[in-house]
Amino acid sequence: MHTESVDVLILGSGGAGLFAAIHAYDRNPSLNILVVTKGLLGKSGCTRMVQGGFNVVLDPADSVERHFADTLKGGRYINDQELAWALVEDAPATINELETQVGCFFDRRDDGTIHQKAFAGQSFDRTVHRGDLTGIEIMERLRDQVLGRGIRVLEEHRAVELVADGTRVTGALVLDIRRGTFTGVSSRATLLATGGGPTMYKIAAPSLEKSEDGLALAYRAGALMRDMEMVQFHPTGLLAGAGRVTGSVLEEGLRGAGGYLFNANGERYMVRYDKDRMERATRDVVARAGYMEIMAGRHGPQGGVFIDVSHLGAAFVRKTFPGMVQRVKDVGFDLVTGPVEVSPTAHFHMGGVAIDASGHSSLSGLYVAGEDAGGVHGANRLGGNGVAESTIYGRRVGDALGREAMDLPLVTTTDNDWAQRAQHHARFWDRSTGLNPAHLLAELKGLMWDRCGLVRRQSDLLACQHSLSDLESRVEQIGVGGDLEYNLRWGDALNVESLITVSQMIVQSALVRTESRGSHFREDYPREDNRHWLKTVYVQRDIEDGSCEITTRDIAFSRLVPQEFQEVMKNGSIMAP
Amino acid sequence: MQVTVHIDRASGMHDYSLDTKTQQTVLDALFFIQNELDETLAFRCSCRVGMCGSCGMVINGREGLACRTNLDRLGRDIYLRPLRHMRRIKDLVVDMDEFFTKYRAVDPYLKARPEVHSPIVAPPISRMREDIDVGLECISCGLCLSACDVVGVVSEFLGPAALNRAYNLIADVRDEDLDTRLGLVGQERSGVWQCHTHMSCVEVCPKNIAPTRAIAHLKRKLIARRFGLHRERLTPQQQTIIQEGR
Repeated sequence: MHTESVDVLILGSGGAGLFAAIHAYDRNPSLNILVVTKGLLGKSGCTRMVQGGFNVVLDPADSVERHFADTLKGGRYINDQELAWALVEDAPATINELETQVGCFFDRRDDGTIHQKAFAGQSFDRTVHRGDLTGIEIMERLRDQVLGRGIRVLEEHRAVELVADGTRVTGALVLDIRRGTFTGVSSRATLLATGGGPTMYKIAAPSLEKSEDGLALAYRAGALMRDMEMVQFHPTGLLAGAGRVTGSVLEEGLRGAGGYLFNANGERYMVRYDKDRMERATRDVVARAGYMEIMAGRHGPQGGVFIDVSHLGAAFVRKTFPGMVQRVKDVGFDLVTGPVEVSPTAHFHMGGVAIDASGHSSLSGLYVAGEDAGGVHGANRLGGNGVAESTIYGRRVGDALGREAMDLPLVTTTDNDWAQRAQHHARFWDRSTGLNPAHLLAELKGLMWDRCGLVRRQSDLLACQHSLSDLESRVEQIGVGGDLEYNLRWGDALNVESLITVSQMIVQSALVRTESRGSHFREDYPREDNRHWLKTVYVQRDIEDGSCEITTRDIAFSRLVPQEFQEVMKNGSIMAP
Repeated sequence: MQVTVHIDRASGMHDYSLDTKTQQTVLDALFFIQNELDETLAFRCSCRVGMCGSCGMVINGREGLACRTNLDRLGRDIYLRPLRHMRRIKDLVVDMDEFFTKYRAVDPYLKARPEVHSPIVAPPISRMREDIDVGLECISCGLCLSACDVVGVVSEFLGPAALNRAYNLIADVRDEDLDTRLGLVGQERSGVWQCHTHMSCVEVCPKNIAPTRAIAHLKRKLIARRFGLHRERLTPQQQTIIQEGR
């Protein structure tokens, strides 16, 4: 097997991975950096798919304190406050760097300054954007800068395992998808930036190759994970029949600009769920409201609700949302003149690897940035804070890698050890006939949607847990045949394996949190319980015996104690630092 | 609707019959074939909404993105081939290094002027971004390179996407390296003079970009430079715009 050693191994080529590569390189150009990406450089992954934009304080009338408060309120106060603070504090410098160094150009106001549009859950219009397809500009330009620096990239390679001994990570086993062969990469520092992407749901938004690999890898390596029960459903996923466009997001700016949501009876149903904020309530609230309407039978022909922006005027809609208009037109509907059927769609995983503000995980040598990390967004992410997290943490962690990588030891793995690990991930090949992983994936998607989706209850979660164990055992019956080269079925097998592992963490954590908060709604515990649940749920695997330990810890209100909790805190059930 | 999909694979043409539903795209058909009919088929995709440019192929003789080509408008026989002018890796998957080698050759990254410290003040009315905006949303899908008749004859030709990117940077007041780039795009074998304005690139671009237009602008600038009309420095107005942003 081919093996190599590098100083910094970066897994993923979205906003986090590429910004980290650029910053690590600029801090220390002599570092041997290798970027490994499942698809093509800067093309795969979800930063590319960012539509709405990037939350940042640029206007003197706005403040980072307000952005911080909005982020915590949106996250229902279980964010790691140090991580959320780093996000809002670094956002202006990040936008500045994107504009002046990376080469992005965002939309302008008439006076020539950067335009900021309205998004949900925010006390100020602070979302910077490039039209309604912002991710293209950010990823194309970051990719250009990586090309300019000559940083080495392995495209269509996926990490299948981290090399970990319980205290540190010293590299990763990588599958070359094009050749169907493995490469063992030993590294001083490894950055996990593969993005989350909760595609284990029937209706899901992320790009199609996403399978939460990073979270599965980190868990198997024994890293401390947090908030895994917190999966965001975006309220307005386009419904396009049996086409794979189904689930793709119609961007939040539609609601920000004043779009209405209707059920099949023509009622603006948000009045029953959040009469003050209506359609501009946060995603958790709006998505759940849509789901309730659908479950109550007030749905359209495709089983969805409707978004309508036609009252905003045809010229405005065409000019402001050209990408959305085009996408809807592609599937045979018209966003300009009338309502379009949408459904909640699994969109983002707030949970992830526990990190500090420089991206250190619980394992030495393992850094994490972007959606693979947890804690920044708490129980619900604000629209516009996602690409902000990827790029801001990419920069921060890139700086940390530049400073620290050479101080970490390079530990190589023996050829025999690499070969044994590789054999495990190629085990599907031993079976000439076997189960089709695409069918297991379809089953998983239905299961998670029905039993661990927008509305959860204990009986469903327990049944789900049982079904997941069954699915897990059937992964061992998957068969893969044909050529080693570019074998999509092998990829499907690895994908479904990752997704089952992460689904198990979601269900276990959802069972533990016996309250409703943000995106996690328990029908059997429908209230937000601040007395008992201003807490984080952690999950960690013991790499010796494979057991999973679940713990909870009180939130440290290190920067801000919200007014509404001061009474609770006085009563002593949660501790101020 | 019952259709037959004819796929040009590494091992020759293969035909697959399937039943399609409305709103399905070529990408949906490929998934069905790979999942249910022939697991050995290889194709590439990612975002499935026309943002990443990973699923380009030649569909019934014309370049297109599989994810944005609806089956309804393709008839009962659908012919799929890999993109042209790029090496086939397997079946419909091509090596995009050939596209990116050309793209890299124009120094496609902003080389920021040292005096640019904050976002430039660029009122839409100033029209300073007008020429750039229309060509900015390139997703580097490679359809234009595949469709370019010239690349088929002169393999060194940089092709539409790279030249479009070069023009965007040359027209960008934030960039300081106009000379190098003009030199790169003006080369005899590989540069803009090879373009014969067939506009195949314009025809196939899924983002409605007109690389031919960018190429025409580049030719104009090169001619101006040849006759000493090209400005080496920023105009006072451009200088002000950069300074104001500080």
